[in-house]
Amino acid sequence: MLAPAKMKIVEDLVAGSVKEELIWLSGYLSGLVASGGQPKEAEPEKKALPKITIAYGTETGTSKKLATGFAAAAKKEGVPVKLVGLDQYRLGDLAKEEYFLTVVSTHGEGEPPSAARKFYDHIHANGFKLQNLKYGVLALGDTSYPLFCKAGEDVDVQLNKMGGQRLVDLKKCDTDYEEDARQWFEEVLSRLTASGPAVPAPQVAVPKKVTGKKLYTGTVLANVNLNDRGSGKQTHHIELAADGIDYEPGDALGIIPRNPQSVVDAVLALTGADGAMAIPYKDEETPLVTLLQKKLNISCLPARVVRNYAALVGQDIPEAPIALTDLLRIYPLKEGVSIADLVSLLEPLAPRLYSISSSPEAHSGEVHLTVARDTFRVGDEVRYGLCSDFFSCLPEDSVLEFYIHRNHQFRLPADDRDVIMIGPGTGIAPFRSFLAHRDATGATGRNWLFFGDRHFTADFLYQTEIQNWFQTGVLTRVNTAFSRDQQEKIYVQHRILEHAADVWEWLQGGASLYVCGAKEPMSVDVEATLLQVAHLQGGKTAEEAVVWLEALKEEGRYLKDVY
Amino acid sequence: MAEGTNLSSVEHIKRKSDGLRGGIPEGISNELSGAIADDDQQLIKFHGMYQQDDRDRRDERAAKKLERLYSFMIRLRLPGGYLTPEQWIATHHIAGDYSTGVIKITTRQTLQLHGLLKHHVRPTIQAFNRAKLDSIATCGDINRNVACASHPSLSPAHAQVFAYADKISTLLKPKTRAYYEIWLDEEKILDKKEEEDPLYEDRYLPRKFKIGIGIPPNNEVDVLTNDLGLIAIIEDGELKGFNIAIGGGLSSTHGNPEHYARLATVIGFTAGEEKTLRAIYEVLTVQRDWGNRSDRKKARLKYTVDQYGAEAFRREVEKRSGFTLEEPRPFEFSQRSDLYGWERAGEDLWHYTVFVENGRVLDDEKLLLKTALLEVAQTGKAAFRFTSNQNVILSDIRSEDQQAVHAILEKYGVLAHTDNASAIRKNALACVAYNTCPLALAEAQRYMPTLITKLEPLLGKHGLEGEGITIRMTGCPNGCARSANAEIGLIGTAYGRYNLQLGGDRYGLRLNKLFRENIDEPVILEELDRLFGLYSREKLSGESFGDFVVREKIIGA
Repeated sequence: MLAPAKMKIVEDLVAGSVKEELIWLSGYLSGLVASGGQPKEAEPEKKALPKITIAYGTETGTSKKLATGFAAAAKKEGVPVKLVGLDQYRLGDLAKEEYFLTVVSTHGEGEPPSAARKFYDHIHANGFKLQNLKYGVLALGDTSYPLFCKAGEDVDVQLNKMGGQRLVDLKKCDTDYEEDARQWFEEVLSRLTASGPAVPAPQVAVPKKVTGKKLYTGTVLANVNLNDRGSGKQTHHIELAADGIDYEPGDALGIIPRNPQSVVDAVLALTGADGAMAIPYKDEETPLVTLLQKKLNISCLPARVVRNYAALVGQDIPEAPIALTDLLRIYPLKEGVSIADLVSLLEPLAPRLYSISSSPEAHSGEVHLTVARDTFRVGDEVRYGLCSDFFSCLPEDSVLEFYIHRNHQFRLPADDRDVIMIGPGTGIAPFRSFLAHRDATGATGRNWLFFGDRHFTADFLYQTEIQNWFQTGVLTRVNTAFSRDQQEKIYVQHRILEHAADVWEWLQGGASLYVCGAKEPMSVDVEATLLQVAHLQGGKTAEEAVVWLEALKEEGRYLKDVY
Repeated sequence: MAEGTNLSSVEHIKRKSDGLRGGIPEGISNELSGAIADDDQQLIKFHGMYQQDDRDRRDERAAKKLERLYSFMIRLRLPGGYLTPEQWIATHHIAGDYSTGVIKITTRQTLQLHGLLKHHVRPTIQAFNRAKLDSIATCGDINRNVACASHPSLSPAHAQVFAYADKISTLLKPKTRAYYEIWLDEEKILDKKEEEDPLYEDRYLPRKFKIGIGIPPNNEVDVLTNDLGLIAIIEDGELKGFNIAIGGGLSSTHGNPEHYARLATVIGFTAGEEKTLRAIYEVLTVQRDWGNRSDRKKARLKYTVDQYGAEAFRREVEKRSGFTLEEPRPFEFSQRSDLYGWERAGEDLWHYTVFVENGRVLDDEKLLLKTALLEVAQTGKAAFRFTSNQNVILSDIRSEDQQAVHAILEKYGVLAHTDNASAIRKNALACVAYNTCPLALAEAQRYMPTLITKLEPLLGKHGLEGEGITIRMTGCPNGCARSANAEIGLIGTAYGRYNLQLGGDRYGLRLNKLFRENIDEPVILEELDRLFGLYSREKLSGESFGDFVVREKIIGA
């Protein structure tokens, strides 16, 4: 009755089955005949997809953009999503999470963004277990920096230690993160839906590649030390001309510094190595001298590198930051240790970021920087920070390469909104950009600047420009604090407090408040003062004031660019 | 009477200033600039200050996007130039705390501090106030610091004459409380009648007004260079009264004969305090009413006197005073320099006159003068009197204290410094000029010491090292250091260039005249070398250099 081909299938099936299976099969077939129908098309049950949380820790807005794209893609697939910033995330919820995905960038010396700090500290406090957690970490970073994606790594390792299971492996992304990020989230989605039939890979919407690291070439038009004679500071105003430059007020300029030739020569002399020797570095063979000039941090080795060096040469060396030249001088390389071994433990020469102090509207085809020369002492010797020193000594007409580092988190509000800017020292940089921009575009919102430095006569950065903006009405108000012009130290936060009533009124009227400059102590003191203003003028309790400031932050009206 | 229809802009500023207040309080609290508003810069002069800026630094600061380096000069009101040792100590510390640190003795016997930043003005004035010192009316269109012959040993009547300086200063002080309100936090006056000012009204004087009191035979104060000069007439050690001279003033303008230096004209004599003060007061009211208020370059009393005539002016003063002035008494000046070193006055008092080059009291690598003076002040044994030649007399030292003061001066080399300075250096004056004076066309006090170092060998070559030839330099023709009233006057015309003026007499009774125009240092040295040679060979016995060049018709008299 059966065609030979079909008969073969039946015979194979029967031959491969145990007794119980054959009994079940006969019952199945008889039941099927009794119901008088064809077997149904295998219609899998629409299984309820698990609810996921996507949390982001963002500094410049990239993590947030990615996380938002992921959330949209997940929803499209019918996956219920909770999207939340790590700074808003209720830490107590973590133990209840089942599917937790997080996007975390890395800053400074391998640190999480300030918005993820609380979360990061919480999971490292280590007092609880995450039995049900399935998680995934997407780490963002920049291979030009040492400790690439360190914060993301830490989160991944720690969640695992606490009992969490990886839904997907940690993915570390460089500045060209788009493709890696897309693949990572596709994998997340396919794992989530794995119990059902295969679904076509959803198109994860990731922000289209904006910059990557587009390199520009700039020519130095001017380089002026803004501090007057007798100042203890050196702050350079540098104007660069660059064709086709594209940036917005609030952005930063990134530059990879070069080590001075004298230092490179010293390293070569101390090691007796041949500068022309090709050394493997990041999958390429590169001449040693090029690595020392452009690729490796040799000016100030962090303690962890010193530790590795100590192991390499088999010596006891205090674990403190030191220049490579000093290290080689005091603890020379041993016979038989190759220069390639030394290179392999050195860290990359990290790019430096500087807030841009010009506006494309006001300074077409140019980008301006405000760079403080970093001066410190080693013993009796005065030394300078590598990159700030590079800028300070940059003559007119010299040419340099740089890229634009977007800062989506630090943008001007709509033209008709008021702005309060708190920018002592080089913190003035983005506000010069803001003011030039608002001046050039005729923005109608009011502008209030708080500036401070050490001495009025020597350290009032951009004084004549600020005077002009005040005289022409671009600046509605300006208050200055010069800390060392009188017995008691006066800082910007003192001026804010003096004008608490008006600051409060501006903020109640919808003003955005920006802080730029030193993270500590300035931005901490300013924040404490803002809470005080809310208490004094808004009658808020300490807790209410914190809530109020959080709300301001959430509305995007309290923005910081601090370092 | 002479109230022109088109008043100069300063006249408007004064009148609408609300008693010299203007916008000064707002300007002082402005956080964006180290300067105050233009109009207020006129008004702040009446409070004893000038706004200045470091002219050496203008371009460099502009490139740094910094405004000019503004600062203020503050000048004290010290009638007759007298300080207690405690007040000197206070001034020493105020200078260190708030100014460049240099204490400048001016050509009119007061002290001024330079380089005060705007936010240091108020603490400076408050600190001076605690030392019972003020700067009211030491600049501006008003009676300025009253100068008076300073050497107590000049006459037994010195103390009596000296007391007039303070009386006159008090009589002619403005009535406005603005100074106390703005700088010393005095409560605001509600009833403005309290500060009604019958002398200055709301317009003050048309221009600055200087009063000096001289005691013959020493004309150290250059009495005839003042708007109003009083010449003390002392007979048998007793003060009889004063000759009154009006219309002195040394400012001029290069290339404009309409503006000229003039010595005061003696118009009469008054005896007794009441009449003397009354006549002085009315000289001011006549100048207030008759002076030129449309052209500030023609507004000094000297132009009013020449326009109306000294006779008419005297009659008006007499009419307003209600008495006639007596005929001037004869007087003779035969000295103009300071009495350096120790001198004894009266029974038991000693004075030591310290040579202070250009009046600048500071510590430098050569001499710790400021430290030495502080130490003297700290003994509490000496008062400080400043001379119109910009020196300081450590005065009123009792015999038993003389040795202690002497030891301090010796320890710091002040004795040697004073003894060793050449005659020409001791008779030299220079104004402030660069880098702070906005009027300066050429250097003065920064350059004069160098020029003198080059003149000393020339004088030596011709055997004239002992001659106290008066030489004075100003950076512009406004004449702060009385360059028109010296045997050798150098008046700045452009950077590094000067008009060389000759023929003034040694005692300040005849002005000099233009000899060579717009010359630089090599030509100055060459000319003076030649003239010193002539003078050395051909002078009459006792003949001064100034008299010699006139007699030889090197310069027209």
